[in-house]
Amino acid sequence: MDITAGTIVLTLIWGVAVGCIYMLLATGLNIIFGVMKLVNFAHGQFLMIGAFLTWTISVATGLNAYEAIIISMIVVAFLGVVVERLTFRRVLGTEKLNEIFVSLGLIYIFENAALLIWGDSSQHIVSPFSGSSLNLTTFSITYDRIVAVFVVIGVLVAFGLLVYRTKIGLAMRATSQRNGTAMLMGINTEKIYMITFGLGSAMAAVAGGLYGIIFTFNSQSGAMPTIIAFAIIILGGLGSIRGSIVGGLLYGIAEQMATLFLGGIWASAVAFALLIVVLIIRPNGIFGEKGE
Amino acid sequence: MLSKQRLSTFFRSRGFQVLLVFFAILALIPVLIRDSFFLFVFTLIFIFAIYAASWNFLANSGQGSLGHAVFLGIGGFASAIIGGKISVGIMGVLGVTQMPVGVLSVFVQVSVLLIGGLISAGIGLLIGLACVRLKAWYLAMVTFGFSVIADTLSSQFDSFTNGINGFAPTLFVPGGYAFYILVISFTVISIGVMYLIMKSRMGLAFRAIHGNEAEARMIGINTAKYKLLAFTISTFFAGIAGGLYVFFIRFVDNSIFSPANSFLPLIMTVIGGLGTVSGPVIGSIFLTAVAQILTTQSVTQSLNSTLGPFFPKVGYVGPPLTYLIIGVILLVIVIFSPKGLESQFRKFYKYLITEEKRDKNK
Repeated sequence: MDITAGTIVLTLIWGVAVGCIYMLLATGLNIIFGVMKLVNFAHGQFLMIGAFLTWTISVATGLNAYEAIIISMIVVAFLGVVVERLTFRRVLGTEKLNEIFVSLGLIYIFENAALLIWGDSSQHIVSPFSGSSLNLTTFSITYDRIVAVFVVIGVLVAFGLLVYRTKIGLAMRATSQRNGTAMLMGINTEKIYMITFGLGSAMAAVAGGLYGIIFTFNSQSGAMPTIIAFAIIILGGLGSIRGSIVGGLLYGIAEQMATLFLGGIWASAVAFALLIVVLIIRPNGIFGEKGE
Repeated sequence: MLSKQRLSTFFRSRGFQVLLVFFAILALIPVLIRDSFFLFVFTLIFIFAIYAASWNFLANSGQGSLGHAVFLGIGGFASAIIGGKISVGIMGVLGVTQMPVGVLSVFVQVSVLLIGGLISAGIGLLIGLACVRLKAWYLAMVTFGFSVIADTLSSQFDSFTNGINGFAPTLFVPGGYAFYILVISFTVISIGVMYLIMKSRMGLAFRAIHGNEAEARMIGINTAKYKLLAFTISTFFAGIAGGLYVFFIRFVDNSIFSPANSFLPLIMTVIGGLGTVSGPVIGSIFLTAVAQILTTQSVTQSLNSTLGPFFPKVGYVGPPLTYLIIGVILLVIVIFSPKGLESQFRKFYKYLITEEKRDKNK
């Protein structure tokens, strides 16, 4: 394939659009980590379920795909709250390995439940803009990708307002700094945990809806995005929301560029090689705090 | 470390006798129950018992790996490729087309498996060097990353590994019962060795690191050295399990590096009991039996006819349902009995003993 300035610009724009979805997923994972000090490896499965729910709702009710995302977001937020109450809360504060085991159990449950309910064929969400694209002189870009960028910006701005302008946001920030002290100040930290997990899952569901509009997906689609989201928050620093935004954009662009220059097979291996190199040099991530 | 005296006390100890009796019982069971499916499931259980025990050994030093399939795969590929080359050589020298079976062939088979384990341990040492400073999620993610990289590399160097289409390794010993005996010998010896190490001073160091790494370093344990040792030993046994697995199912391809294979020993160990000797074995028996029985032809068909109408989108209800149930079991065990089934058995045993005493006192 010819690599011209046009294709590079196009790849950049694609990278930004894809990066936005990963960014949203990573931010969800990151706020859960920031407040609860917990890494939910089943986070990508919320994305997968969000995508399937959006698809089901838009097919069953004939709603616009972007309206369906809102409903699926609410459903997945409730699912997240239920999951937090039933599983993670019980192992929180015990050994770190237990959190990994719980996540793994959740991955098995979600993936296979989705397989049972929705089958093993790949699906694709049809949006009102499907098939139409914005034509610029030498290249074109689908409207869906442009809309995805704006949806992500909208969600992140709303989230920023929640965290920095409301009382709940204040409580969340307090809990993330010192949960013991926050509790002494009269904050119901368990409630904050619940809200945070619900919020994180809701973000994953929105990311899932956008993912399902741009890519095809099946019950196994959650695994890779989880890993990518984790890579992003490691690159950007655990617990740092600005870090995950920058990391998401960088990752999206890097991945699309690797696909352009090296070919699709190498995309995930290169991403992991990068992650491993970063962690070998800085075991707690680029902006991570030094432990012990 | 292991001294001569320690070894001799071990050979006279009760643990060793228990192991011998265990071995004898295991060897006799397939003779009494002559059923090929039963033998298949039993062989698989004990191959996975080594694999799960190797994971447990690593977790015992505080390192939870999510990419152990790398070592299962490397052990499998290495022993299959080397075994193939050796068999071609031997058949060339003897001028025959079929491998002769004898004492020599058993020796060759065992050495091929050990070589597979050693190669796996060598790569384990290198990966361990990369992982030695990492903790919890970081370690989990990086080990997982290595399994993705191993998969990609084995596809890229397909002319050497034949990983995309897969191939069948040459078996040097007869399959069936003879291979089963080979497997349980390996299982008993491997688990015995890992048990001995866990009971030695080295094992104490591992547990200290697991408990609190900073404190372990403070009391003078070279944590990096011991973590690396644990990684190397664990990957050696994982490689042996991989070799046995590949020779047992007589097929190896890239799918051996799949995440499912990485998660398997973890789930077995957690269900059985993390950090115990019998835990991985119990978990392996439980999980392999459940998975194999639920995916047999007759069970799958009856499941399909009863549950199929509820889930019209899937062809076979059995496999996803099995994994769903395994996920639920894992969650229930982690939340309600974090020490696994082993602790429940122990409680039950204690209960029985106290019951007996109470009866005597009456």
